[in-house]
Amino acid sequence: MPLITEPHIPDPDGFYAAWLQAHEGLSDDASADLNARLVLLLANQCGDQATLLACIAAAREAA
Amino acid sequence: MESFRFAEPYALPSWPFVPPPELDGDAKRHPIVIVGGGLSGLTLACDLAVRGIRSVLLDEDDTVGVRGASSRGICYAQKSLEIFERLGIYERIAAKGITWSFGKTFSGEEEVYSFNLKTDSCSVQPPFINLQQFYIEWFLVERILELGLTDLRWKSRLTHIAPREDGATLQVETPAGAYALEAAYVVDATGANSPIRTQLDLPAHASRSTDRWCISDVRFKKPLPIERWTWVDAPFNDGRGVWQHLMGDGVWRMDYQMPEDCDVAEISKPEVAGARLREQLGPDVEFEFVWIGPYGYRDHLLERFRHGRVFFIGDAAHVVSPFGARGGNTGIQDAANLAWKFALVLGGRADATLLDSYDAERRPAAEKNLEVTSRSARFLAPRSKAEHVMRHAVVALAKRHAFARGLVNTGRMSVANDYPSAPHLPEGSRTVQNVALRAAGGATTTLAQLLREGTHGLVLWRAPSAADAEAMSTALAGLPVRLVALGGSSGLAAFEAGEAELAHLDLATPGSLLLVRPDGYRAARLAAPTPAAVAAAVRTAFALN
Repeated sequence: MPLITEPHIPDPDGFYAAWLQAHEGLSDDASADLNARLVLLLANQCGDQATLLACIAAAREAA
Repeated sequence: MESFRFAEPYALPSWPFVPPPELDGDAKRHPIVIVGGGLSGLTLACDLAVRGIRSVLLDEDDTVGVRGASSRGICYAQKSLEIFERLGIYERIAAKGITWSFGKTFSGEEEVYSFNLKTDSCSVQPPFINLQQFYIEWFLVERILELGLTDLRWKSRLTHIAPREDGATLQVETPAGAYALEAAYVVDATGANSPIRTQLDLPAHASRSTDRWCISDVRFKKPLPIERWTWVDAPFNDGRGVWQHLMGDGVWRMDYQMPEDCDVAEISKPEVAGARLREQLGPDVEFEFVWIGPYGYRDHLLERFRHGRVFFIGDAAHVVSPFGARGGNTGIQDAANLAWKFALVLGGRADATLLDSYDAERRPAAEKNLEVTSRSARFLAPRSKAEHVMRHAVVALAKRHAFARGLVNTGRMSVANDYPSAPHLPEGSRTVQNVALRAAGGATTTLAQLLREGTHGLVLWRAPSAADAEAMSTALAGLPVRLVALGGSSGLAAFEAGEAELAHLDLATPGSLLLVRPDGYRAARLAAPTPAAVAAAVRTAFALN
């Protein structure tokens, strides 16, 4: 499974809104915790080692 | 303040220093000199002796154990136990030690992960036995004395080594004076602080961890299951890691993770260690200490495990963090890898290149162990706020979801490492578990027992015919292998094995054949073996002259 960089999220604005909403009212620490849990859950959905490593590299490059 | 008791100290054995012939000017060249009488050095001396090979072993003191009777390395893995069965000390270890296969990991008050190592094993030996390290060394010394082929030189300290192309001269200091010792081969088993490594200035890429722990060996009467329990963050240890394990003589080994900047003398005081244990066990449990001490760990890995006529085994070659019991077990397996090769080369059967396969096989094993244990250490001692956040996320999810439990890493237990493909191992190799076999009369034996005495491999052949067996016997005559039939009516020495055992041996199909090395590793597997192909496989694996 290659790294998908073309649009793939059916409702981008809806996803972004839900992501923000999940963080509402959280402290910075609790937000960081939530994002880390989210990464793990998404990683398990993906389940492909090469794709995961490509995602980590792409995330680092985008900074 | 509560006061805490210590048990009667262990009375460790000691053996006498006997002035060697060199001190009377009677020098001779010894085929093998082993420096260091810890787990790896003693295992090597013992493995050589069961093969009928003499060696000299130098040890600095005259007893076993380090820093008194500290428990030190306590988890002995299946492959090590299989080696000990072949060496003849397994029964003593099993009788004295604690057999276990189940482990649990906790975070706070909750269990987050458990494993059972028994499920994928068909060995006669259990996945693990816990026993204080000094007992293993003690049993090895007594077995070595019984075999009577090893020149055990106590209170003999190596002060200098002068390697040459065909051997080395060692300078040795003893209570009766110093002498020079000539060796054709030297094995450095002196441990983490090897003076040989230092003197030869060999790069070991050492790195020291800032993680600090305190060990308490303690006896108490609270009934707890015989399982490996670990806490990522124990409420009774200020949210830091704790290990809890039962060993021999009803003594528990408790390891407590300490703050990085702690005062190591302070955390090891009986009243400090006692207060910690009191919080863990509750108010009504009586206990007594056997030993308390701090430790930090480090790692290093030599670039090569062989330098000319000098071989490095055990901690002298590699040191890893303690999580997963990959230190002592790796040293024991280094020794077993090297012993049969020395036996065949010194006996003139094998080409000296066979000795190079020690580094080719054990260096990658150590490299893998370093990677695995470094990952455990990193999970257990996060280095930044981000790493704490990530671990926190893993633990939080592990409480609810199975997938995250596999990410909880409190140590991946020692395994017998696979070996890469190499000139003597065209297919690469993996361990062959010590399976049980039944003879026709109903008597049982094991692969380890069939490998005992002398130095030979096993040719395990599934259900051969009588006609094929004769040609095979002829082709293998004079080679260092023992031909054994598993089933069939060939006239060969025959045993029966169970279905799971046959599957593990890769011998489910009648006619297939497995060549097992003297160290219980797979050398070759032939689906349709001809006598010439099997003889060639033996010559390759054993580098026969």
